[in-house]
Amino acid sequence: MWGLFFTPEDFVQGNSYRIIYLHVPASFLSQSLYAAMAIASVIYLVWRVKLAAYLIISIAPIGAIVTFIALFSGSVWGIPTWGTWWQWDARITSTLILFIMYLGLISLHASFSNYEKADKLLSWLVIVGFVNIPIIKKSVDWWSTLHQSASITLTDKPSIDPSMLYPLIGSIIGFFGLIICLVILSSYVQILKRESTKSWLKDYV
Amino acid sequence: MTTYYLEYLKLKKKLRSWLGPIIVFILIMVAYPLTVEFLEKDLEKGFYSLLWISILLSMMFSTEDIFLEDFNDGTLEQIIISSSSFPFMIAKKIFIYWIMIGLPISALSFLFSLGITKDLNLSLFVIFLAMISSYIFLNLFVFGSALSLNKGSVLGALITMPIALPVLIVLGKSIIALQFGINYLELLLLLLGCLSIIISTVPFIVSYVIKAHLE
Repeated sequence: MWGLFFTPEDFVQGNSYRIIYLHVPASFLSQSLYAAMAIASVIYLVWRVKLAAYLIISIAPIGAIVTFIALFSGSVWGIPTWGTWWQWDARITSTLILFIMYLGLISLHASFSNYEKADKLLSWLVIVGFVNIPIIKKSVDWWSTLHQSASITLTDKPSIDPSMLYPLIGSIIGFFGLIICLVILSSYVQILKRESTKSWLKDYV
Repeated sequence: MTTYYLEYLKLKKKLRSWLGPIIVFILIMVAYPLTVEFLEKDLEKGFYSLLWISILLSMMFSTEDIFLEDFNDGTLEQIIISSSSFPFMIAKKIFIYWIMIGLPISALSFLFSLGITKDLNLSLFVIFLAMISSYIFLNLFVFGSALSLNKGSVLGALITMPIALPVLIVLGKSIIALQFGINYLELLLLLLGCLSIIISTVPFIVSYVIKAHLE
């Protein structure tokens, strides 16, 4: 909210830059959620923790939605700034691939009636598909693209003005909170669904 | 050696599985000049992207039913309970598929490349790239095919396609590097590095995936 209404106008881009407060957190989260899924997959395959498997499949739809938001807000932003809503450059294409990956994961899981088998196969696919994440992350540096490189890094001074930076960080944290809430709710539903036959759940409900 | 021969005989018997992808490859390459104007310069422009994509597609078709027959007649279960190494058997199977499908396609890529670009050096380089890339694609699609073992292989191929795309990017970049005289060796080494990682990991991953199916 702060970012959308109270930050100063950008000198070059005017008001359209405000999409940054949706676009950056969404893109950031689309990759972080995949990384979280990969960690959960390793935990599931190595230690056989059932909750990790539930977490993977509860993150997947949320990840797909967040990636879609990142792509959509990016293309809306692209119209006033780049003059085009879509460009086949490295960052955008690799994010689109990530979106397709999420959809593939959901459809793979849905194609099995045996949950345990589906969980195992899904975990393997998530781990192998993790190859894509560093490629998205580094795509702006490896290729000469239309997409700008990262404005905020951990090591360097940010190339963005503090009056816009702090709201951006705020919006990232806010978005993170929202998505974590959604993941918790979604895994809650998943646990109820999977454990519906167990006695502890009947006592609980 | 007997397992190699056995796998060879099994594949040879399934004419559709090994000849089909090669014919698909030839058809795409032959159809290409028909879809653009008959100007050699224009043909050259998009030729290599089409070549990589058709290698990708033919490898996708070739792995369509790589495990299906063994799965249906119980061979996979037998191998798992027998003392022989399951990942090793998968690696052998992939190798035979590559010999029967990947190598002819690489040789054909050389011919098509020579025919369209008339550049011998570039076409010789294309053989190497085609050999490496077909082996990488084959491994990836075998993984996909194992994931959706009895669910129809289209799903498996579709979900592994995104993983194969970075390889396509490197292939495109190496051809550009060679055409502009930039150092292309590092890209070739990158591909070889990918290949070695894939060869050493995919059989193990696939064996775990198949075991999960059979449990």
